[in-house]
Amino acid sequence: MNILEIKNLVKDFGGLRAVDTLSLSIEEGEILGLIGPNGAGKSTAFNCIAGVYPPTGGEIYFAGEKINRSKPWNLCKKGLARTFQIVKPFSSKSVLYNVMVGSFVTTDKTSVAKEKALNVLRLLQFEDKKDERAGNLTIAERKRLEIARALATEPKLLLFDEVMAGLRPAEVDEMVQIIQNLRHQGITIFVIEHIMRAIMALSDRIVVIHFGKKIAEGSPQEVASDENVIKAYLGDEYVIS
Amino acid sequence: MTRQNINRFALILVGVVAFGLPLVLRSPTYLHILILLYLYAYLTSSWNLVGGFAGVLPLGHSAFIGIGAYASTILSLQYGISPWLGMIVGGILASITGVLIGLPTFKMRGAYFALATIAFGEGIRVMVENVDNLGPLKINGPRGLQIPPTNIGFVNYMFNGKEPYYYIILVMLLGILAITYFISRSKLGYYLNAGGEEPEAAMALGVNVARAKLIAMAMSSFFTALAGTFYAQFTLYIHPKSVISLDFSFEIAFIALIGGRGSIAGPVLGALLLRPVSDFSRIYFGATLPGLHLIIFGIVLILVMIYQPRGLQEPLTRAYNRLLDKIFGGTGKKEITHEYS
Amino acid sequence: MIYILEDAINGVLMGSIYGLTALGLTLIFGVLKVINFAHGSLLMVGMYAAYWAIILTGVHPYVALVIVAPVMYLFGYYLQDIVIKPIFKAEKDVREPITVIIVTTGVWYILDNLTLLIFGPTYRNIQDNPLKGKMLEIGEVFISVPKLWGFVTAVITAAAVYWFLQKTRMGRAIRATSLDREAASLMGINQFKVYNVAFGIGTATAGIAAVTLVPFYNIFPSVGVLFDIKGFIIVVLGGLGSIGGAILGGIIIGLIESIAPQFMTATWTEAIVYGLFLVVLFVKPSGLFGVKYDW
Repeated sequence: MNILEIKNLVKDFGGLRAVDTLSLSIEEGEILGLIGPNGAGKSTAFNCIAGVYPPTGGEIYFAGEKINRSKPWNLCKKGLARTFQIVKPFSSKSVLYNVMVGSFVTTDKTSVAKEKALNVLRLLQFEDKKDERAGNLTIAERKRLEIARALATEPKLLLFDEVMAGLRPAEVDEMVQIIQNLRHQGITIFVIEHIMRAIMALSDRIVVIHFGKKIAEGSPQEVASDENVIKAYLGDEYVIS
Repeated sequence: MTRQNINRFALILVGVVAFGLPLVLRSPTYLHILILLYLYAYLTSSWNLVGGFAGVLPLGHSAFIGIGAYASTILSLQYGISPWLGMIVGGILASITGVLIGLPTFKMRGAYFALATIAFGEGIRVMVENVDNLGPLKINGPRGLQIPPTNIGFVNYMFNGKEPYYYIILVMLLGILAITYFISRSKLGYYLNAGGEEPEAAMALGVNVARAKLIAMAMSSFFTALAGTFYAQFTLYIHPKSVISLDFSFEIAFIALIGGRGSIAGPVLGALLLRPVSDFSRIYFGATLPGLHLIIFGIVLILVMIYQPRGLQEPLTRAYNRLLDKIFGGTGKKEITHEYS
Repeated sequence: MIYILEDAINGVLMGSIYGLTALGLTLIFGVLKVINFAHGSLLMVGMYAAYWAIILTGVHPYVALVIVAPVMYLFGYYLQDIVIKPIFKAEKDVREPITVIIVTTGVWYILDNLTLLIFGPTYRNIQDNPLKGKMLEIGEVFISVPKLWGFVTAVITAAAVYWFLQKTRMGRAIRATSLDREAASLMGINQFKVYNVAFGIGTATAGIAAVTLVPFYNIFPSVGVLFDIKGFIIVVLGGLGSIGGAILGGIIIGLIESIAPQFMTATWTEAIVYGLFLVVLFVKPSGLFGVKYDW
């Protein structure tokens, strides 16, 4: 079954159509990449899925259930987690505290949440920083924390919103490793990314959108050589015809 | 001796001293001052559940004191119901009111929320001032209600001498501190902190921020109202300007802020530091330099907000830990930050 | 019937003065995004300044504007610079620092009580000033002359501030900063200078309002408190940051205050004003004329 299905999603902001009849589906266990030039509507689509914006039109199904207009916290409890493009750590609290907030989705007891959070940190090789104040972390560490928190909610589908932005190439490679490991945990992953080498390496399939519309879909190689994609990113002169 | 054990021992010591004080300190004046001190510490700690943990700035909390005071007083004066029961009724009424106020206001941003709570507080005061009778209930408008000191006894919440009142408010204070402690370590506490600091992130992590805040508000208003009953039974006279005043609301909020909202020790520390200043300047300078304590208050407020916005509990806790280091040696490692901040 | 008309007219005039007192508040909130709880106290300071200026020099009350307005401007400018700026620097990334509200409350406590200490609680007023008690007779309606002067002053001041914001360079800088302070500072606008100027102007208008009040209003240390709360209500009613909204909001409050007492007690009038305030907060928090911020 498809874990996520989007049918003709439309999102308008006043007179601006940010997402234009977007349709796509994600199979369980897949890693789907979403790319497109800046302002193409990627984050908007994510925010519609994650319950931040109500869609203007179209339908979104998560594990067969229609989730239009669901609240973010309810979606999280159902197994849909997300990270933020501009990271939002609870800066005054420790790393462990931050992750425990996520763990509480699956339990009411503090001791259990603590255990689960420690496990997540161990999985991401982040345990040594558990008592560090979140506000003092480097950007790469904060991104890792963002993933750890989302992971602690034990999601079935994880939405990564430009989680590589601002990382050095070595850090990007590390992050790709981490995300690939997540797939082995049985988590389906939906990634927005700008850093091409990362998304090419990660994705099973890629969807490309431009001005809110899907312009290409397929394997990384197919998409990279797609004429429309090249036109969108680089302009007409670069198309080899 | 681990640091935790030292802290526990210190707390027990303080508790023993507090309980033993009335046996040593016979003067009713001093007991009176201490009772008011504990009362303010209790009120600021109750306020802290919303103003500290939920991260908003409620400036109308004295309305709940009023609800508690009037509820138990009317029930006991007109219907002979024990003020203890009236206290619970007042608490529940305040809780419901708090949730009703919270529902529309928690959606607002900080400054608007503060204004709305002021408007609610003042609105409630104006209404009570204007009403002489609410159906069969005698409210007496601005003249207020007097409680005749008859029927001494526990059931009637009426005592000779200050000692019983001292113990009641002390127990209440310890109670609210224990409750605050357990909440801060519980799921609700984590959710409130998260929702207060980064609501969007919290929501994406499964936190229904609005609901958590409402729960906190319901609890805070309940406990605040209990103090209203205490105040009524202690002073034996309540009127709108004394129990539902803007000054009272502001005082509670700012003592908590100076001490450090969001922490457990903060509000109590704030009360411990500021109430004596207030009493002292009023007693010694009241005639010659009126309003001096408010000037001091204002200066302290400004300085603390500029230099120690998280309250004085932060530098004081550090000094305390350093002192213990000197006495007992050891790493002096701060309390693990993830428990609460 | 005539009485209602008379009340209404005087209510509008008084209301415009309320609007004038709230003008500074809406400007400061619009630009700095903070509620200045000390605004009433600043008004009070202005009233004492005007009072002493007039008593000591014996001039016509409105001539005191020449002294009071600049003095108040500087007072506000440096108050912002010395006391409030440090907080903005400390809470750079918070869009509207709540701590500033708390600090301005501290300023309020200090100003009010320092005044009490220095000048005592006695009510003062300027006994024989050329405007006191004068009435203008139009047909059967008596219009209060000092309030009429106040109305004219309010309209002129509002127009002047509006012109300043629209047409001058600093004015545009202020508007830019109020819309997006980061973007504005990236464009070379010194955000803190803008705050200082905005605070200065806001305080200066409070000074002007003080001068209009002094001919007929009592002056005492806590006079600011009444205007403080009314100021917030007016500002929310009219829309935060809207100059015209402040004047109109003031007029609405003035009208309610003058007409309602014909039909109910003064305290119920108070309740209505609070009720209206809450309704606006819930239904249209941006006010009648306010810009919809992304609150």
